[in-house]
Amino acid sequence: MQTLGYILRRLIYGVILMFFVVVLNFILIRLAPGDPAEVIAGDMGGITKELLAEIRAQYGLDQPMTTQLWIYLHQIATGNLGVSYYFDQPVSKLIGSRVGATILLVLAAQVLSILLGVVMGVFSARKPNGPVSAIVSVISTVGYALPVFWTGIMLIILFASWIPVFPVEGMVSARHAATGWLSYGWDVARHLFLPAFTLAIIFLAQYARLSRASMIDVLGADYVRTARAKGVPEMRVIFKHALRNAILPILTVAGLQFGNLISGALLVETVFNWPGMGTLAFDSILRRDYPTVLGILIIGSAMVVVANIVTDLGYRLADPRIRTTGGRR
Amino acid sequence: MAALLEVTDLKVEFSTRYGDVTALDGVSFSLDEGETLGVVGESGCGKSITALAVMGLIPAPPGRISAGSIRFQGEELVGAREGRLRRLRGRDIGMIFQEPMTSLNPVFRVGDQIAEAILLHQDVSRTEAAKRAIELMKTVGIPEPASRARAYPHELSGGMRQRVMIAMAISCRPKVLIADEPTTALDVTVQAQIFDLMRQIQEDYGVAIIMITHDMGAIAEMADRVAVMYAGRMIEEGRADAILDHAGHPYTQGLIACIPALDPEVAAADRPPPLAEIPGIVPPLHLLGKGCAFAARCDRAFAACTDMPALKGGPHAVACHAHEPQQQPTAGGA
Repeated sequence: MQTLGYILRRLIYGVILMFFVVVLNFILIRLAPGDPAEVIAGDMGGITKELLAEIRAQYGLDQPMTTQLWIYLHQIATGNLGVSYYFDQPVSKLIGSRVGATILLVLAAQVLSILLGVVMGVFSARKPNGPVSAIVSVISTVGYALPVFWTGIMLIILFASWIPVFPVEGMVSARHAATGWLSYGWDVARHLFLPAFTLAIIFLAQYARLSRASMIDVLGADYVRTARAKGVPEMRVIFKHALRNAILPILTVAGLQFGNLISGALLVETVFNWPGMGTLAFDSILRRDYPTVLGILIIGSAMVVVANIVTDLGYRLADPRIRTTGGRR
Repeated sequence: MAALLEVTDLKVEFSTRYGDVTALDGVSFSLDEGETLGVVGESGCGKSITALAVMGLIPAPPGRISAGSIRFQGEELVGAREGRLRRLRGRDIGMIFQEPMTSLNPVFRVGDQIAEAILLHQDVSRTEAAKRAIELMKTVGIPEPASRARAYPHELSGGMRQRVMIAMAISCRPKVLIADEPTTALDVTVQAQIFDLMRQIQEDYGVAIIMITHDMGAIAEMADRVAVMYAGRMIEEGRADAILDHAGHPYTQGLIACIPALDPEVAAADRPPPLAEIPGIVPPLHLLGKGCAFAARCDRAFAACTDMPALKGGPHAVACHAHEPQQQPTAGGA
């Protein structure tokens, strides 16, 4: 019950947050130079003053900005994200066909970076001054410093020409006829590896450093000594008694990183031609396709809000001290 | 008959930034079945290190046992394989720690933490282990053990947590129970309850207890024999009543003087200052010289104290140049 009320409260905060996201971005994107009417007219072949005026009137771009915003907010409140200027299709449909790919990429990168980061952190925490620890520190510092697009391009070069084990572009092979559920999944997974790994590298560094520090701290705790004193084998001391406690700060950071992951995903998608929201966002910005850009921003922030709520719930599950006393299960 | 636990000339060193420091030097004691040995001294004397050495839990690096032997039921534990030590820990030698607040894992239910100790050392099913955990919680005096077993440590009081720790430590009916300041973090009424519980467990289980404390009052209450430690060495050893009545070492005498007198007549007649103290602190281990480590704080120190005094004398042994064994009223005390 407590948890339900908590989720409700967080959802209300989320809606308020998204309202500001919409208003702010609506204004910002119109402050940027460029005019969608010109882009549309250009595509129709030949720009005349009359045509421009007609297009503006048709799309409501001749209205004052406050009126436009008011209409847009009304639309969104009814769940309508508008129609793309460029594709002449509902934005919800455009995003709907791509959001899955982005979520897949973001989750894969998140899982990969947490898993690898925690393993690296745990092993370097066992001997904080040992060689493993030094190697982990170097890897994580370098990984953190590398820009995603550069890492991505380097990986493409590496895997395209030297060791061609992973496809470097797209999400499914063109030649690969869908022969079955399993082989389709395998094909997507192979395509997913490089973009997810590229995106994971930056975050990996942070998780490795964090889990190293957290683990060193926890390994010195009294309850770890208690576990050893009752004869728990060392590996179980580390992975059951210590890690379960050391993971808590990592969960917190993982939740906060979701926003960064999504914006990082937009870049990575462009590099690897991954058919997610990133490529759509990039093209739509160039085309001044306001409804599509705003739609992507709204869906993106909704994803962040949901991710944060999920993180908090996970935190409650992992740490009984946060659950209230007397709560069952 | 050989003693249950026999520690001989134990030396433990730690590498620190001041170089190698000797945390324990020439510590010897023995423990018979069913008896209680009190190990006394101020913080930093090496009491806890002694306990950890017996458990094979000296953090290495930086620490190491550099000399001596620890024999449990005749088996040498110094240099024994980790797997062997692990099977002894929790099964034959249980341990209770000072801080019940932090000694239990905050993310696991207390019943499961007790059951884990049982599952590690005995061939029983999970259900059976859980059942035994609840029985143990009942044994150590936890009311409503079945529902408390499902509680997390933060939902229990300090005294309850220490009872859980005791339940965990005795879950496999160990032969030795090491209690490292088991009541320091608890308030006085709870302290008395925990002492009662430990005595009762000793009676029922026949377990030998090593009771580590800085509180001479606790020794008077619990111990059959006493070992007094100072700066990593044993400076006095003997029967508890002998030491309490005729302490030989000035340090032990100081510790005994620190027991607050609760009896108003005694307080008025025998000990005019209500609270005594030993001036100064235990010297840092890296600053220890060749002589008696207590000399700087001792009002009886003289020229000979620049040499390390040996622990000598019959069943009541004292390491002090100023102490003359023949001055003891009855040789061997009591």
